Amino acid sequence: MALEVLLVEDSKTQAAQIKETLESVGLRVRVAYDGPDGLREAIANPPSLIILDVKLPSMDGFQVCRRLKRNPATQDIPIIMLTEKAGPKATMSGLRAGADDYIPKDIFASEHLITTLQELGILE
Amino acid sequence: MPQSRSPYSMRPPVMSVRVEDSMDIMIVRDTVRRAAGLLGFLPAYRAQLASAAATLAELVLNTGEAHTIHLNGVANGIKTGLQISAETPWLAGVSVNNVLTALRSKLGDLVDEIMLEGDDVPTIIMIMWLSDTRERVHDS
Repeated sequence: MALEVLLVEDSKTQAAQIKETLESVGLRVRVAYDGPDGLREAIANPPSLIILDVKLPSMDGFQVCRRLKRNPATQDIPIIMLTEKAGPKATMSGLRAGADDYIPKDIFASEHLITTLQELGILE
Repeated sequence: MPQSRSPYSMRPPVMSVRVEDSMDIMIVRDTVRRAAGLLGFLPAYRAQLASAAATLAELVLNTGEAHTIHLNGVANGIKTGLQISAETPWLAGVSVNNVLTALRSKLGDLVDEIMLEGDDVPTIIMIMWLSDTRERVHDS
């Protein structure tokens, strides 16, 4: 059975683009559109991987990441953060929150995402 | 194209990116990730290195100068790492301590070493060393 990814992204357009990329490599994708919904989804039905936007309504991606990494039910799930901001402070905030990678939403984002999925053993 | 310099011995990979506009900064990020991946850095550390290199490229670009970001593997005894460097001729004559303080304040969390080498043409050098916690485990 295909591995499942939980994508937490408030932009429906961007969520659709990322979902398409992930499905093109054989992954199943569930989407949550805000932080609290993403947390509930991750805890209720832990996925193989979480892809988390930084800028989310109600609770930002850093907070979501920290809570997931503190919860024994979800702490071992790899988390990749996607962001518009990739400056030094934001990058370190993401990695210190426990993210396994921090990828800027640029023209290389899909490629980096796939490479990271391979590195994490999600894809062959 | 100017050559890279280092206080350590250099080893592959050896890459460089000419930075002339903001689009090139994305290419710097991408190239650093590739170089760091070749050396075996885990994704989180590739992200740190990419952020450090992009910030350096932005800083230099903000001076209005096109420049080249050099990426080299480096070795110091049994340690290996990735060096990111750029020549910064406009820093000639500027206090090395002031430059290093500013750079370390902005980039110190992202890399292990930040140096300013050379008098005539100062070169900013940043290095992250590989360690067990930073390195991908290879299947054998």
